[in-house]
Amino acid sequence: MPPFKPVLLEAVGVPDGHTLASYRSRGGYAPVERLLTEKQPADVVEMVKASGLRGRGGAGFSTGLKWTFLPKDHPGPIYLCINADESEPGTFNNRILMEDDPHQVLEGIILSAFATRASTAYIYLRYEYPRSWHRLQAAIDEAYAAGLLGKNIKGSGFSLDVYLHRGAAAYICGEETGLIESLEGKRAWPRIKPPFPAIEGLFRKPTVVNNIETMACVAQIARRGVDWFKSIGVPADPNNPRDPGSYGPKLYCLSGHVERPGCYEAALGITARQLIDEYGGGVWKGRKAKAVIPGGISMGLMTEAELDTPLDFAGPGKVGCLGLGTAAVVVIDETTSIVDFLHNSCRFFAHESCGQCTPCREGTSWSLRMLERIKAGKGRLKDLDLLAEIGATMGMMPGSTICGLADGAAWPIKNAIKKFRGEFEDHIKRTNPHGWMVTDPVPALQIVGAHH
Amino acid sequence: MPTVIVDGKEIEIGADERLNCIEAARRAGKEIPHYCWHPGLSVVASCRMCLIETGQRDAATGKVTMMPKLVPGCQTPVKDGTVIVTESQLVKDSRARVEEALLIDHPIDCPICDKAGECLLQDYHFQHGQAERRADLHPFTSRRRDVGPTVTLFVDRCIMCTRCVRFTREVSGTAELMVTSRGAKEEIDVFPGHPLDNKLSGNVVDLCPVGALGDKDFLYQQRVWFMKREANVCGGCSAGCSIHTEHNQDTVYRLKPRENPHVNKWWICDDGRYGWHHIHDASRLVGAGRAAATGRRGTPAFDDVEWHDVAQRLRADLAQAGRLAVAVSPMLTVEEAWMLCAVARSIDPEAFLAVGHVPREGDDETFPGGFTIRAEKCPNRLGVEAVVALFDPAVPGWDRLVEHVRAGRAGAAWVTGGYTSAWIDDDTAAAFGDLRCLVVQDLFDSPLARLATWRLPAAGFAERAGTWVNVGHRAQCFEQAVRPPAGVWPEGRLYWNMLGRRGLYDPSAVRRQIAESSAAFAALSGDVPANGIDLRIGQLA
Amino acid sequence: MIAHRKILTDEMVAKIEALAPRYPNRRALTLPALHIVNAELRHVPLEAVAEIAAVLGLAPAEVQDTLTFYQFFHQEKPHGKVRAFVCRSVSCALRGGDHLLEHLCHANGIDPYGTTPDGELTIEPAECLGACDFAPCILANDDLLKNMTPEAAAAALKQPRAKAT
Repeated sequence: MPPFKPVLLEAVGVPDGHTLASYRSRGGYAPVERLLTEKQPADVVEMVKASGLRGRGGAGFSTGLKWTFLPKDHPGPIYLCINADESEPGTFNNRILMEDDPHQVLEGIILSAFATRASTAYIYLRYEYPRSWHRLQAAIDEAYAAGLLGKNIKGSGFSLDVYLHRGAAAYICGEETGLIESLEGKRAWPRIKPPFPAIEGLFRKPTVVNNIETMACVAQIARRGVDWFKSIGVPADPNNPRDPGSYGPKLYCLSGHVERPGCYEAALGITARQLIDEYGGGVWKGRKAKAVIPGGISMGLMTEAELDTPLDFAGPGKVGCLGLGTAAVVVIDETTSIVDFLHNSCRFFAHESCGQCTPCREGTSWSLRMLERIKAGKGRLKDLDLLAEIGATMGMMPGSTICGLADGAAWPIKNAIKKFRGEFEDHIKRTNPHGWMVTDPVPALQIVGAHH
Repeated sequence: MPTVIVDGKEIEIGADERLNCIEAARRAGKEIPHYCWHPGLSVVASCRMCLIETGQRDAATGKVTMMPKLVPGCQTPVKDGTVIVTESQLVKDSRARVEEALLIDHPIDCPICDKAGECLLQDYHFQHGQAERRADLHPFTSRRRDVGPTVTLFVDRCIMCTRCVRFTREVSGTAELMVTSRGAKEEIDVFPGHPLDNKLSGNVVDLCPVGALGDKDFLYQQRVWFMKREANVCGGCSAGCSIHTEHNQDTVYRLKPRENPHVNKWWICDDGRYGWHHIHDASRLVGAGRAAATGRRGTPAFDDVEWHDVAQRLRADLAQAGRLAVAVSPMLTVEEAWMLCAVARSIDPEAFLAVGHVPREGDDETFPGGFTIRAEKCPNRLGVEAVVALFDPAVPGWDRLVEHVRAGRAGAAWVTGGYTSAWIDDDTAAAFGDLRCLVVQDLFDSPLARLATWRLPAAGFAERAGTWVNVGHRAQCFEQAVRPPAGVWPEGRLYWNMLGRRGLYDPSAVRRQIAESSAAFAALSGDVPANGIDLRIGQLA
Repeated sequence: MIAHRKILTDEMVAKIEALAPRYPNRRALTLPALHIVNAELRHVPLEAVAEIAAVLGLAPAEVQDTLTFYQFFHQEKPHGKVRAFVCRSVSCALRGGDHLLEHLCHANGIDPYGTTPDGELTIEPAECLGACDFAPCILANDDLLKNMTPEAAAAALKQPRAKAT
């Protein structure tokens, strides 16, 4: 299939492509100047709703619809938070957008703030992106100087301040209410919902949290039109009124055991196999894939046989993965131990669990310690059942946790044990020949008095 | 009236009530287990123990639609038609898993942990937990950490419910407690140099569902299953917080707040919480003493008098001494105060009755959560004033009594105290030095007691039953918890005897008599609810 | 207001105050203030936490609570002039990230999270640095070191680096 002509990535490789002048030369900021002076906020909301744009941060919720949850006649202030905390393992597309085309992101922010009547936008930027920090700040400075930010933008009567707010290396700050708590200066423990951020968010005011790539899409929709956006991707199933479709271009991050890791723009709906073979140069070293993460580690695993699954919002779910997530595809080759993979995943989530609610705090820690025991050659077959049970019961979906980190922690466990159970069993039996069959409960006398 | 269906049983709730599922289920007799929720704190829904199934019953069709997943009962409000299911397999499995998760790293300290017997982790394990341990993880650590002068922390027992942290941020407003680190490594701690040291500190021990936080005052003193408890009222100030006195074999071990929405809600201050030690102070006055014939000035010497002889000899001494002046202490109960006045008037029909010394310290202090510690450090000034008013509408106070005695208008004085700390100086005491007969009835020795003709012991708060009226005009009736020191006749028993009444002192009989004979106390005529009753109810303005 | 500060300089306080108009309350300045102090001192000692709390009108425990959540700020002593975060998440792990971390720690004679005795280098494991296109990678102060091998990393980390912003 012919390569997709980059739109979101159009500035990549362009000398000084990150500057205001360069952005304008591509048609940038013309939409801001037009829409802010000629249209109403509601018009921009309608435009984004009509485009079918779904959030690119991982949840895939309809962006325009989310904006309509804001209270209608609120006296303000209303806040727009931009989630630049990108920390999902395998994901790096926001980084490239911020470094190489910060003005595209900024234009999207201005339009989104106008639509939601936000007076202040905070970009919550992860600590580990210093280059993005410098590029974004420079772009913000250029925008203020050009009258595209600040008071009464281009005489429209709309005023907006944009501030960078730096994180400190905690994955949970990518959860929208974790981000809000962190911005407010507290530990990033996600909030219980209701109330939802649209009603009571940052500083207890109506708030919308949107992703960086979503902002870039808003800018492109404003420039190239709703019809253009809807001409790309997978249309909604006409027989299913609940299917919002998967419209627009998507940035796919490809990494792991491929010849050419990188960020590739394609229409939503490309399959994993197409991405790996046609964009990524195929699995590295002439090997075959054993497993592929479809959208960041939280989404779980696809087997080699499942690689023809379209990577749109609906596809991965059909093969038992959590969803499209951040569309970060990570390839695991046939020589890699799936036990090692699951250990890596459990280690990540145990480190990042915020610790607030019991099932996630203890479940992520327990599953890590079981994987460590299995790696150390002391695993038992019954551990696999325990892990599967943790995977099935921990998360927002069963209702047992406050936020979706637990679901993200559970899915790799669920998928790995279900789809690769044979490999786990072989490993356990091989490395613990004398103990793999133990099924007894832990004797009480062994734990009473077992103090340090 | 909105109807809520709990496990198939319908209950009605008030139209204006805002209840969550835990509160609603309680009305139906179902206790939904929970750790982190508390009605006096913000809702965090983090322990996940209260997960239940909920749904809605359609008012028109009666069809019940259940939510597809479990929800926390603490954060789910009920309305008309809410359906609550607390005992399905899904709910039971969820609870068992939460218990299992909490026990993974919880040190099995029960044999050495104060909380055993009143520990929610223990209770819920037996009620809702799994019979067998599946997590093959040990050893455990069990570290003790000093967080302040009155509270101790066993770090590894903590289940991260964060009630204690929320208390210091929302109720005391002092924010000393914090969570450190992240994930399974989280611990409770204080900032070095800023210990947990506010006037409400002890409440975090009540809040802790497990044995992580403990009172240093109570640590290792007594097993909870040996203690009995009575509903009492704190005698430390005019707030009159409802408490439970917990004791065994006439020894008080600790006080706990008793929930009273009209007075203290769920809290008491540390002065009240730890303010019971005077009851077991070795220097308490015990035994009735009459000054020896020699040595009324200089070194006081007292002859012990048998209690059965006290009433008669005391009456005789007072009858001969001339005009009688009485200080009715604001530490006395309404019943004791009334009987004292009646006794006094039976000896001298024109006895000068005054309200005793009212101790005050500083100013009223209100905390962000609404709790107030009163500057008036006695529990019953309003009650005693209302009693004295029945005998003398002028209701003279202590200063007037001192002046009255100094001016030589009395030949005898009966000063009741019951104060837990020093309350009178030498100068004021000296005013009583020339009386022919001075009766001092108090907890401890004092400059006044050394001048006494009769030195009588007083009861501690836990050793009496009766009624106190707090700053808000709320009369609370409380029970006696422990017996006074061996042989002592506290005020109630002595006055009952001096009035010639038969049998054991019965405070409720005196209360009824007072209620029937006065408008001010009319509200006390029936059964008084556990939370007390506002005396102003039914009074004409 | 506290009368005198031992750790926070006037410039640090001025930088914190300059951000105050961005937020409707003082508590939101907590993380920016921690970064401002950390950028100067390469750690945020307890005394600085107390001073930040005083500047912001918070209890010290509230600031420390937030600080320790991130598992990011050193408190006992400064981290190295070069703080090398070695990624260990899945994409880097698949291309040798764990091995890289182990090798670097061994080569410099320190444990993970440790600092060399001369105060020059700290090596810490990090979770996904968002540079999976260049796995395995290291973030050394503000520089992203791409496609690292143990040898390339050893050589790259010997270069002095502008301090992190």
